[in-house]
Amino acid sequence: MNEIALPPILPEAVPSSEKVLRQLFLTLFLRGRSGRSLKIQTAPKSVGTKLTLSLFFYALLGCMALGFGHQPVFALAAYLHALTFAFLGMFVASSAGEVLFNKEEADILLHRPIRPKTMLWAKIRVLVEVSLWLALAFNLVGFFVGFHSAGWRFPIVHLFSTTLEALFCTGSVVLMYQLCLRWFGRERLDGLMTMAQVFVAIAAVLSGQILPRVLFRVGHVFSLSETSWWIGLLPPAWFAGLDDALAGDALFASWILAAIALIVTSLILWLAFGKLAQDYEIGLQSLNETVSTRVTKTGGRHRWLDKLVNVPPLRWWLRDPVSRASFLLVAAYLVRDRDVKLRIYPGLAPMLVVPFVFLLQGYGQHNSSIGGGFGIPFSGAYLGLVPLLGLQLLQYSQQWQAADVFRAAPMVGPAALCHGARRAVLCLLALPMMLLVGLIVWFLQGDAGQLLLLIPGLIALPIFALVPALRGRGVPLSVPTDAAKSAGRGLSMIPVLFFAFALAGAASFSWTHGGFWRFVLGEAVVAVILYVVLRAMINQARWPEAD
Amino acid sequence: MISVVQLTKCYGAQTAVAGLSFEIPAGQIVGFLGPNGAGKSTTLKMLTGMIEPTSGSATISGFDLQRDLLEVKRHVGFVPESGAVFESLTGLEYLEMVAALYGIPPNAARARIKQFIAFFDLSFETLTDKLLGAYSKGMRRKVVITSALLHNPPVVFFDEPLDGLDANAAVGFKALIQMLAREGKTIVYSSHILDVVERVCHRVIIIDKGKLLLDGKPDELVAAHNSGTLERLFTNLTGGAELERRAEDFAKTFRP
Repeated sequence: MNEIALPPILPEAVPSSEKVLRQLFLTLFLRGRSGRSLKIQTAPKSVGTKLTLSLFFYALLGCMALGFGHQPVFALAAYLHALTFAFLGMFVASSAGEVLFNKEEADILLHRPIRPKTMLWAKIRVLVEVSLWLALAFNLVGFFVGFHSAGWRFPIVHLFSTTLEALFCTGSVVLMYQLCLRWFGRERLDGLMTMAQVFVAIAAVLSGQILPRVLFRVGHVFSLSETSWWIGLLPPAWFAGLDDALAGDALFASWILAAIALIVTSLILWLAFGKLAQDYEIGLQSLNETVSTRVTKTGGRHRWLDKLVNVPPLRWWLRDPVSRASFLLVAAYLVRDRDVKLRIYPGLAPMLVVPFVFLLQGYGQHNSSIGGGFGIPFSGAYLGLVPLLGLQLLQYSQQWQAADVFRAAPMVGPAALCHGARRAVLCLLALPMMLLVGLIVWFLQGDAGQLLLLIPGLIALPIFALVPALRGRGVPLSVPTDAAKSAGRGLSMIPVLFFAFALAGAASFSWTHGGFWRFVLGEAVVAVILYVVLRAMINQARWPEAD
Repeated sequence: MISVVQLTKCYGAQTAVAGLSFEIPAGQIVGFLGPNGAGKSTTLKMLTGMIEPTSGSATISGFDLQRDLLEVKRHVGFVPESGAVFESLTGLEYLEMVAALYGIPPNAARARIKQFIAFFDLSFETLTDKLLGAYSKGMRRKVVITSALLHNPPVVFFDEPLDGLDANAAVGFKALIQMLAREGKTIVYSSHILDVVERVCHRVIIIDKGKLLLDGKPDELVAAHNSGTLERLFTNLTGGAELERRAEDFAKTFRP
């Protein structure tokens, strides 16, 4: 036998299972779970760069706390906790599925001598640890602002309350999983867990987005003493109350909020990691079971999709068999796949919140240039982000290797696949959301005529939907999920956001100063030209080089 | 060494394994056979503690599957059919992680891993520098087999272990399990490659639709059913012969 020299190791000591698992899950989280073609020398570097970029991005967002320099502690803390809550909620809800219940992991770890509780704790610690990195990056500027305005106690208390908030977010998602298991049984676990996670993520985003805006809006209230009882319904307010109680005005109301934060977090942790931890093993086992009793239901869904594509106008729109197949594939994943649903729906939730907030600002102000006048076209144009983000997120899949079948098929490029995916996203995501915004506008403005302001956004929608497929990219379900963690994806939305502002501004101006229909006609002409050019570019694109 | 009594697994109204009973003594290699969906993988997963039986009992190395689950897991090695590994770890990182889960001290684990590297002709650079996701299927399978044997378990379950192995590695592996059986290890070998099973296994258990069909020595079973080979016996029992006849008609549909 040849003598083989392996790298040196530290002195003899058997690490505990929990430590080994914690290291394992942290490594897997940072490197991602699919490492095809990667080398150890390059993998950590690329992960490090991505993580640094993400943390930098979060820290940059945290600079908005500078605007709270002269506000009461509760306002600063509420702002920081609300956005931290949104970020952490999104992060935990979207990561927890892969971290807590990974199907492949069952084959690797379930037959090893490890207690499920040990595995659960190791995963939770990793989730909380990474959540805290993100939270600390975002709160970095807030610590200094709080130190400057409220003294040395604020950073210490805020660090404690942020850690508590991270535990609350993680515990809530885990608890949601376990309650689904307990109440609905293992057969329906996968679907229900997905739904629960999506709701937690959406709730986190809504709660995180709404609180600071409410604090700004309702009579410009910044002090806890002036807020209403309902503030206690918003979890970020509990943690802000903790900051205010220990480092701020210490009002009675803030002590109550602080008590709620401590009691609810303790209760959730006790339930999730103590009382119901045994259910975690059942959950892992159920993912490992190959037999399903849900044949009828899935079959029903499949028939529903088949019927949908056979009804005009979709039947005419999907004449090309490849586009039709791609449409069905994307539609099936949007309805059935846990991983895709967890990325798409929480990712799109803020798309609804932002226009909603703009519309609320103009509530009751007919033809107001601030709200109705700008808010409605902005809402329409902002929804252009839906197909853009939706198609970008649909590229990622845990089964990305299965997309090799596309390259193996006799097609010169991915155009037909991209067209099918685009149509699925437009039909199943963008148009329903546009309808919803239309209903909200109608409800809030009470004037159907205002709905015309959505037309500029509607015209821009197909153009936005073409962008992800340029240069042969945007093939559905073809990219490993680890790439979805890149911070660059969020940055690519910024130009679109500016475009939405510009379009809404122009539409609003032409609406109030006359010439709205001329503007719409001009936009339509430009949109048609752009559509033809972009479509031709997509049709000519060849397969990008495989990684 | 393995004792299974009325082991049953149900998923709702569907029964995957229906009252399976058998005993396997130490030092025996048992081929565990059945067509797709027969309940083989479910049985193996139950016996390795990965899924909970609906009813029935089993003991492995004297430990009860339900009462002493962790002890059972310490005493078994399992090569799952999926060959799943954590793709973003290097081979060495993965094996060291597995060793740590069994409480093997790092130095002892290293020494053992070296032995496996040498046996399987694995490249040292590959093991330390490349992530498992970049391994070939055969190399990955070697790592999975190593991870199942690293802690020297008295009972080993193999589910399609030769999948992906090249001819040389397969020959080496077959010799290895025969030697392991001589050392007293109990080996359960599930595979669809029946000629290998016929040559390697001391005994075969054939199941279908979760129920035991046959249990005995391969040559005795073949002789008793006058089927010539184990493969023929298997296809006669599980409906494969009919498929063979249908293949002829189906092939005609490919004519231009």
